[in-house]
Amino acid sequence: MIKKNDVLLKIRDLKIQGYSDETWVDIIKGVDLTLHRGEVMGLIGESGAGKSTIGAACMGYARDGTRIVDSSIEFDGMELTTATEADRRMLRGSRIAYVAQSAAASFNPAHKIIDQHTEAPLQYRLKKRMEAQEDAMELYEKLRLPNPGEIGFRYPHQVSGGQLQRAMTAMAMSCRPDLIIFDEPTTALDVTTQIEVLAAIRDIVDEFNTAAIYITHDLAVVAQMADTIKVLLKGEEVEEAATKEMLDNPKEDYTKSLWAVRSFESPQRRRPTDGTPPLISVKNVDASYTGGEKVLDDVSFDIYEGMTVAVVGESGSGKSTTARVITGLLPPSKGEVLFKGEPFPPSFRNRSKDQLRQCQMIYQMADTALNPKVRISEIIARPAAFYGGLKGVALKNRVDELLDLIELEPAQYYYRYPPELSGGQKQRIGIARALAAEPTFIVCDEVTSALDQLVAEGILRLLDRLQNELNLAYMFITHDLATVRSIADEVVVMQHGKVVDQGPKDEMFTPPHHPYTDLLLSSVPEMDPDWLTTLLEERGVDNVGDAAAARIDSKDAKVT
Amino acid sequence: MSVFVIIYYTLLLGASCLAAYFNKRSAFLLIFSLTLVSFILGIVGGVGALRGVAIAAGLLALAAMVSYAFREFLIAIASVNLAKELRTAPLTAAFGMFVIFTYAIAGIFAPVIAPFGEAEIISSAFAPADENMLLGADQLGRDMFSRIIYGARNTVALALAGTVLAFLLGALAGLLAAVNGGWFDQIIARTSDVIMSIPSLIFALLMLSIFGGELANDTTSFWLLTGFAVVTGLLVVTAVFENNILGWAVGLAALIVVAVAFAGFMLIIFNPSEIILVLVVAVIYSPRVFRLTRAVAGNVVVMDYIEAAKLRGEKTWYLIRREILPNSTAPLVAEFGLEFCFVFLLIAGLSFLGLGIQPPTADWGSMVRENATLVSFGEITPLIPAAAIALLTVAVNFVVDWMLYRSSGLKV
Amino acid sequence: MGDILGLVAKRLGLGLIILLVISVIIFFMVELLPGDIAEAVLGQGATPENLAALRREMGLDQPAIVRYLDWLSGAVMLDFGNSIVTGASVSQTIGERFANTLFLATYAAAIAVPISITLGIVVALLRNSIFDRVANVATLTSISSPEFFLGYILILYLAVKTSMFPAIASLSSDMDFGDLLYRTFLPALTLVLVVTAHMMRMTRAAIINLLASPYIEMARLKGAPPWKVIVKHALPNAWAPIINVVALNLAYLITGVVLVEVVFVYPGIGQALVDAVSKRDFPVVQACCLIFAATFILLNLAADVGAILTNPRLRHPK
Repeated sequence: MIKKNDVLLKIRDLKIQGYSDETWVDIIKGVDLTLHRGEVMGLIGESGAGKSTIGAACMGYARDGTRIVDSSIEFDGMELTTATEADRRMLRGSRIAYVAQSAAASFNPAHKIIDQHTEAPLQYRLKKRMEAQEDAMELYEKLRLPNPGEIGFRYPHQVSGGQLQRAMTAMAMSCRPDLIIFDEPTTALDVTTQIEVLAAIRDIVDEFNTAAIYITHDLAVVAQMADTIKVLLKGEEVEEAATKEMLDNPKEDYTKSLWAVRSFESPQRRRPTDGTPPLISVKNVDASYTGGEKVLDDVSFDIYEGMTVAVVGESGSGKSTTARVITGLLPPSKGEVLFKGEPFPPSFRNRSKDQLRQCQMIYQMADTALNPKVRISEIIARPAAFYGGLKGVALKNRVDELLDLIELEPAQYYYRYPPELSGGQKQRIGIARALAAEPTFIVCDEVTSALDQLVAEGILRLLDRLQNELNLAYMFITHDLATVRSIADEVVVMQHGKVVDQGPKDEMFTPPHHPYTDLLLSSVPEMDPDWLTTLLEERGVDNVGDAAAARIDSKDAKVT
Repeated sequence: MSVFVIIYYTLLLGASCLAAYFNKRSAFLLIFSLTLVSFILGIVGGVGALRGVAIAAGLLALAAMVSYAFREFLIAIASVNLAKELRTAPLTAAFGMFVIFTYAIAGIFAPVIAPFGEAEIISSAFAPADENMLLGADQLGRDMFSRIIYGARNTVALALAGTVLAFLLGALAGLLAAVNGGWFDQIIARTSDVIMSIPSLIFALLMLSIFGGELANDTTSFWLLTGFAVVTGLLVVTAVFENNILGWAVGLAALIVVAVAFAGFMLIIFNPSEIILVLVVAVIYSPRVFRLTRAVAGNVVVMDYIEAAKLRGEKTWYLIRREILPNSTAPLVAEFGLEFCFVFLLIAGLSFLGLGIQPPTADWGSMVRENATLVSFGEITPLIPAAAIALLTVAVNFVVDWMLYRSSGLKV
Repeated sequence: MGDILGLVAKRLGLGLIILLVISVIIFFMVELLPGDIAEAVLGQGATPENLAALRREMGLDQPAIVRYLDWLSGAVMLDFGNSIVTGASVSQTIGERFANTLFLATYAAAIAVPISITLGIVVALLRNSIFDRVANVATLTSISSPEFFLGYILILYLAVKTSMFPAIASLSSDMDFGDLLYRTFLPALTLVLVVTAHMMRMTRAAIINLLASPYIEMARLKGAPPWKVIVKHALPNAWAPIINVVALNLAYLITGVVLVEVVFVYPGIGQALVDAVSKRDFPVVQACCLIFAATFILLNLAADVGAILTNPRLRHPK
């Protein structure tokens, strides 16, 4: 399928520096890259690996505050580092195109989508305006955008995120470039929407035999899209191999560790049968933000002592709002929350100190969850002093004990400030702060989604261990089904503010499912390179993504 | 062509060639464009214009050297952390700090430095400078130099008092509004909208026309001060005691004592017309401070750690003191400098209009007005107090500019 | 379009309410005075009889709220009563002066707006270069200088030492337009210096903010030449910030004009206000304050409405 003889892009010893604190620091430390015509290469790595910077460098472009030094970037025989800016510019848009992560921010709000689409072909005098517009509509149709004849005449803010991302891919195709750089094109999208975009991108790249560099942090996604995969770590290459080989037989330890992460699975617990009331019981709750539409519609579920309930759904499904109702930040407009069978006051302002203590929270972004100007010792000590009235030596001992519990050396972290810590360490401090209150119930709001995979697994193991030791109940809010698989005992699936499906984990992962659960489950990319192809064959191209989600109602019968 | 012109161009061209040779791009651009400008200036303005440029460049170089030395001095005496911060200060900021330092010395030690008293008549009106009087005499025969030194004390102290009061009221209201939100936030925000939609100088003139005359007496200013202190204090009591009725009773009692003490203290330092001025300025500028603090604190309040503290059951005062303030000091300090400039310029403007600080107190704004006639005789003496005002404002602005740059840079 | 009209109407309504509240403040502040205007007019030598007579004449025996409504309805018809110092009609005294002030402000704005926006954009494009830094220092210095400092420097060097321009901006009715521009050049230049610095800084900040948007990078990566990036991609989105900058600075001119008029003895409304304040001529003070506040609010309103009208998201609702 790929002609391996025709080199399109050859990068040798790429070094890029960034300006910070009055000096130039190396971001990319000598990366080589060879891309053939029609080849799709996946660049993967964790945040800070320099993927995006390399992507821009492939166009001979250095972002503000960065510079390319002593490198060679050869595109189709032309050396970009020594070429004039005008020559480099002539390539951009016509022969090398770029698809950005956030289509919503990367389309100019002042112009219609189709006018931005036709800008490059008109500028390079490749087509007349009418031709270019017709071509755009054709591309929109190929990318399965709804109303291809009309959608281009809308302004960017009038179109949804998934559609914009496909419109941007169409725009990149407008001059039929030799190479497209995809910079995390689906990262900001929900899983069900992601599939549509992935399928559309793959089809169109195949059809025009365009070479592409696909930048992402998601292994399963890159497995679907790329012919070869290059793994990056902190601005350096770890290894490169053909996709199949890379998945089956990774060589470097770092790559192996990336592959191995999804192995942890906590044994599933069952509800007590002796009739003790649930720890938290959400009963027929409706809620809305001031003056807005209903965000939660008749939500009910129970959480028993010592068990983990995962609440799953896409953005806007109301899972975080449910947490706000339980913690009392958003009093429900209807229904109530019971704690051990007793009603909880709807607003946290009316709850007693003991009621507040029972229910703690761990946040997604550890950066914003910890006050950067307060010492670690004080962050952890405050709840212990506030609820338990501990002072002096007793307090210090308690803090040491808590730091031990989260596997951080007390002496080393006691006097430090949050910005000096890594993401995983910060998340551990967040856990310690919750534990300091000695709660029975903890809301974990997407606690692992901002972390790199290995670190995330460490956090999951820690949470599981703490649950066993301290008999904690967790409400685990997440959009990531792999996390659900590893830690949940029961699962609640939400869509548009309603609970569409709930039950024990083993039942939820085996058919029959509710159609939405089915869609959600099948939309999560798997590490198998043929996964997307198989899925599209099974479900049909028009039965995935938003199109499929729109047809589902919460009262639909289960499907197998 | 005079020797001066030849030396002038030789130096400029030589410097630009050197800069170009050593690849100092920005220095070269600056020097060479100055050369080009000099060609035109030389043709239009003759040797005099070039001399002017040379003097200006010399002054700039002098200022740069002083700033550099002062920065090194500060680094040498500061603690390790502070020294690290200071190293990032550009020369302009160092210059600003130097000027502020000088003014502080002049203000604090005015009676020691000034050769004569501020209201002491020592010669005839507008007497020229001699060995006794560095800058000559003013329209009543008082020593100009002494009055400028005393002016540093009077004008700056007044502006500082106004800014501090405006800040206490505005910042407290802003912090409380950010934490509590709801109707409290709305009411204060709408009130400040109204006050801010009257131009500050106009509002000041309006208020001075009311309070400026017979109302500027001890009794009125005492009650106004007490009233201001009570309003500010009420915000503190609200934040500290929330719904605790017993606490409120104690708090209110303490508040009244503190307010009266504060009013008495202010009356000792300032005379009634100055107190009116300070209060007018505080009322006009507190909405601006409120708006900024509300915005700064608003960015902090949305953080998860504030939510965590609220859910823990922490009281408003704890949230403000321990969680919000440590994260908003940098922008607030910068804003304090900025507001000081506005207040200072407003007071100077009012004094210039004859409505601010009243004679015989030495004050820069009114000195400009009193000696303005000298300008039509080509004298620069009346410009000196005006320059003193400009220099201090520039200095504070330079420092603020650096601090704003630092605090915005840290966010990235 | 219905949406956008609603927003504009709402904003206008809000402006009107604020203006009303301000009229209340301006009127009732004078009521705070001990005694009343009549005592202030007659001063020490007042007998109870003339006081009573004057009160009746000025309508001071009416309750405050009635007098407020009278004053407000008069103000709407541009009738602000009579001066208590000269007894002349306030609107006649300040009407012509207000026109003079508007002329001066327009003169200054006509020079300052194009210059500062151009310079602001240039400096934004050259950001972090040596010119940017020099401009930063220069504008900061200009902003920090009181208007009377700049004014007297100009008088000293351009009027006294070189006699290029007149130091005092006296006006007479027989001057032609060119003469008028010449005579008012120095006060206008003073205002220009201050406002240009403000406007340049704000324009620079707005443009730099805009150039950091992802869609500008996208335009560059599509191969658009630099001029096209600016003209086609940045400018259509820059209108709102630029309109905002201009309106805010025109509003700023209003305050600056008071001091400049006093320095150059220019017969404008600012001078009238300062005189009235020192003579405690309250009807004139109230009228001037109301006019200044109304202009200020109007300009802020213009900025907001401009921003609403040029926002593509609002112009093309979903």
